[in-house]
Amino acid sequence: MGLKKLGLVVERDFRMFIQYKFMLVMRGIWFVSQVALFGLVVNRMVQESAAAVGINYFNYYVAGVTIITLYSTAMFIGYDIFEEAEHGVFEYLLTLPVSRRELVLGRSIGGGLRSFIYVGPLLVVVLFILGVSNPLYLLIALASMFLFAFGVSGMSITLAVAMKSGDKYDILIGVLDALIVRLSTTMYPTVYMQRATPAFATIANFNPLTYVADMFRWGTGVEGALKFSPFTAVLALFIFFFAFTFVGVVFYERRLEGGSWQ
Amino acid sequence: MKAILHVIEYDFRNFFRYRWFIVGLIAMNLADLFISAVVFTQMASTSIVVNYFRFFAPGLAVVGLFASAFMIGREINMEVRREIHHYMLSLPMTRTELAIGRVLAGGLRGMLYMTPLLITNFIVLHLPTLPQLLLILLTLLLLAIGISGVSISIAVSTTSFEKFVTARGVVYYMLFFCSSVFYPLSVIQVLATKGLGPLVTFAQINPLTNGSDLIRSFLLDSPEYVFSPLMLLNVAVFSCIFALLATFAYAKILQRH
Repeated sequence: MGLKKLGLVVERDFRMFIQYKFMLVMRGIWFVSQVALFGLVVNRMVQESAAAVGINYFNYYVAGVTIITLYSTAMFIGYDIFEEAEHGVFEYLLTLPVSRRELVLGRSIGGGLRSFIYVGPLLVVVLFILGVSNPLYLLIALASMFLFAFGVSGMSITLAVAMKSGDKYDILIGVLDALIVRLSTTMYPTVYMQRATPAFATIANFNPLTYVADMFRWGTGVEGALKFSPFTAVLALFIFFFAFTFVGVVFYERRLEGGSWQ
Repeated sequence: MKAILHVIEYDFRNFFRYRWFIVGLIAMNLADLFISAVVFTQMASTSIVVNYFRFFAPGLAVVGLFASAFMIGREINMEVRREIHHYMLSLPMTRTELAIGRVLAGGLRGMLYMTPLLITNFIVLHLPTLPQLLLILLTLLLLAIGISGVSISIAVSTTSFEKFVTARGVVYYMLFFCSSVFYPLSVIQVLATKGLGPLVTFAQINPLTNGSDLIRSFLLDSPEYVFSPLMLLNVAVFSCIFALLATFAYAKILQRH
């Protein structure tokens, strides 16, 4: 497998990502308004109860919004795949002097990498707000965020190639987004999910967003102690990354042959 | 009148083509209520919100109304980009009839989509009296027409789908985050202490605040939410301004295209 060719595929996906400038600006506005408006106001509403369990809710929420942004931008790759199928770009891609595996793996890496690069500047602002208590913990947290972004990218590719209609994909992503984000600890701690409905907390315990959000909070010192060991969290994220990257690569590779995307 | 009804029928037929999109939207709205709101009920300070789930339910009807009434703009923007508006302009009706029909259709579609969410409100809160129900429906219809007007005004003024989506996002975040849809107006005062005083004023005159608080005044039985005719007046003024703006913009700008 040629690294140079892989790099070219990643570069192409990154260039395509930059073309979504309005979408990217909108995501940025969403992030700022989530932090500066929603975060501040909701913090006022819940700070008493959050303080009772030792949490500064504003910081907790800012870390969660960062992970939601990482998740949603990593999902973008699926839309690219649909666009290509609709506009006949698939045929062009197949004529390139790049093996199927290089093409597919490159897309998966590109999808994850570009979301991480997009979140980078936001991450700097977030780290400025939250501070860093232990640089080593932060590095481990960033590594788990890398795994997560690649895993989500693989998941997006898997879903995109498994569906024939762009509209249905759009709806599925919307519903999945509604459930995966809400049934995780990105917006609220497990203790409250447990109090509300224990089933929510149980589902959240198997949600990769929970692991990555909690790892990020642990890395920045927002949460002093993790409910699970950092090793367990990294392992869970690695399984998520490996499963979806592998499944995504196999699905996409198979679909490329025989024009089944048409 | 007949021409306007034809336009409304055309837009309703288009609306049902997006049935899967609507199903997805309803699923997201219900997830907001039955997951997020249930958890926030455990978190919110009872001195600020007695029961967040009950507080948020009327807000959810407004969220749904906004999302579906705004869909008309997405379609009109697509028509402009694909030049279908030439066909629309060739129809045997005046520009004004066409424009009024589209604004009304956007609002009525919003009402149709919002109905299951409003019924959910009646189930989880309580049934209003008949005059209260009529007032709620009138307010929501006016709100939906106003939102449809905002959406159409943006749709005909933007040349690409990306720009439309970006503008929609900005309007959405401003209107929702600076309103009492997600949290009580009293909590928004915190923004004033952070140098964001104008946003507090905006939240107070925001039609989404008045729309959701009007429903709360009838369904929550809370002394904090008392019906005032000014709420209805606020929504009516918003509706008139944006319905007129959209009618004018649709009729004039489309001809220029």
